[in-house]
Amino acid sequence: MSQFSVSERAAASGVMSQTRAPYFVRKKKGITPRTIAILVFLSICALFFCVPLYVVVVTSFKTMDQIREGAIFSLPTIWTLEAWDHAWNHACSGIKCDGLKVGFWNSIFILFPSLILSISLAMVTGFALALWNVRWAGAFLFLLFICAFVPFQIIMYPLIVMTTTTKIYGTLWAVAVIHAVLAMPVLTLIFRNYYKDIPTEIMSAAMMDSGSFWRIFFEIIVPMSGNILIVVLILQITSIWNDYLIGVTFGGLTGQPMTVNLANLITISTGTTNYAHNMAAALLTAIPPLVVYFLVGKLFVQGVTAGAIKG
Amino acid sequence: MRWSRIAPQLALTPALAVTAVAFVGSIGWTAYLSLTRSRRLPEYEIDWSEWGRQYDRLFRDAGWEISLRNLVVLGLGSALAIVFGFVLAALIDKEKRGESLFRTVFLYPLAVSLIVTGAAWRWILNPGLGAQSFLRGLGWDVDFNWLAQGDTAMYAIILASVWQSAGFYMALMLAGLKGINSEIWSAAKLDGVPMWRVYLEIIIPMMKFTFITCAILLSLGVIKAYDVVVAMTNGGPGQSTWVPAYFTINALSAKSNLGYASAAAVMMLAITFVIFIPLVALTAWQQRKRETV
Repeated sequence: MSQFSVSERAAASGVMSQTRAPYFVRKKKGITPRTIAILVFLSICALFFCVPLYVVVVTSFKTMDQIREGAIFSLPTIWTLEAWDHAWNHACSGIKCDGLKVGFWNSIFILFPSLILSISLAMVTGFALALWNVRWAGAFLFLLFICAFVPFQIIMYPLIVMTTTTKIYGTLWAVAVIHAVLAMPVLTLIFRNYYKDIPTEIMSAAMMDSGSFWRIFFEIIVPMSGNILIVVLILQITSIWNDYLIGVTFGGLTGQPMTVNLANLITISTGTTNYAHNMAAALLTAIPPLVVYFLVGKLFVQGVTAGAIKG
Repeated sequence: MRWSRIAPQLALTPALAVTAVAFVGSIGWTAYLSLTRSRRLPEYEIDWSEWGRQYDRLFRDAGWEISLRNLVVLGLGSALAIVFGFVLAALIDKEKRGESLFRTVFLYPLAVSLIVTGAAWRWILNPGLGAQSFLRGLGWDVDFNWLAQGDTAMYAIILASVWQSAGFYMALMLAGLKGINSEIWSAAKLDGVPMWRVYLEIIIPMMKFTFITCAILLSLGVIKAYDVVVAMTNGGPGQSTWVPAYFTINALSAKSNLGYASAAAVMMLAITFVIFIPLVALTAWQQRKRETV
């Protein structure tokens, strides 16, 4: 009850506040102690968020001799690219020591087929479900909604068997196809929600004009999908690039993406760990999605919130 | 109008096939296997006199019990990300200065892989060369050798998860806060209501939908948590950082026990549905509310 009375009075007095000009002028422009306190607190939090990135960057340029001194936060005394070179060309993943460049190209060759497959499938499905009177569309949408939440582990073994029988298990194609399959429910829901707001007049006019499903799709729907395509692209690029579980499950020994190489490198328990190498490898893996992030900025938020249920 | 019937249905076949085979069929397949005695290779005979033997074993397994307990610990610990996210969003929203800079900084961890996050935090938490030795060098007697000890290793995983996801909840909260009428603040201030009461009694109740959404997304994320565990501790020390996702994959790949892994996967699905049902109810409720407005 009390919350109501406060908010009602707040709403009521909000009208009155316009008459009290001096109060507003002071509040708007001045830098009060509270402003400073808030900004200081936010800056400290921002610093905390930056610490891991800073540590990773400086460590990757250090020599192992300096790392052994134990000053994790200090700048490198000698800046060296040795760790970067080693991580890219010679880092070991399992028994092979060809560096992360193998995983990098694997990730690239997983990313592009997977993007094309997942987005085209979801676009067509979303379009058909949103704008064509398919009788069982509602039930199918609900089923897709449920599928979007299913934990990967429960479909893992059957998918391994299916990829093995189709002889793609252990190749980049298996990883790419499984990504497309697992993303299908969420992406379809995103496209369907976007397309359902297309005015029926446009659809009716298009129908009179040609009436063909595919012509409407390619001549009207695809050109209209620019905004949602960018959001979905960001979502898919980051989630495919950052995936570990699907890559490690379906990549076998030859189809491992970069994250799997990195995980092998950092969890290795034999010999002495070279942290400069590990951090350079981590940074190499993180750079592509970070570039996307800093390029698109605000759209990234839309992308991740759209795919939030994907987890 | 010539509403073609065949083309759209034809266009839907691939999606239908994927749903039927990769999702519905596969779930059924795994559920069936969980009733069999399959070990390395699948067996399709069910001994109906003891169909629940995999589940029996599962509930008596200490590793599974640890996994479930860690799931709760991780859930409660990661909830800090929601609190943290709300505080950050409230402060950013209150003080508009530097909004885009702060948002960019708080959100960037979300763009990198959890394996990278794990690698970074693992290095910072390294007892000999990491932050601990640095702070001890400054004369502070701190102890966060979390990763090496079973009873604290989960804290390290929670720390990394919170660092990764706080920005995401901040973004959701910021969107929620933007929807609140700005006059409430000036009015409340005029009435002399202290700031914390405005938040506690007006803003947070108004944002309950945002909070519930965050809580559900968080729970779903916690169940799926696997990468971060692999990167930080790989389940260790011992079994102390096992979670259901790790347990299931470990049972399948390391122990090659298909029936057992299937039973664990079915339990994961059950846990997901327990969280999923309120979400459906909530969405329906929200939709009805929107329609009545």
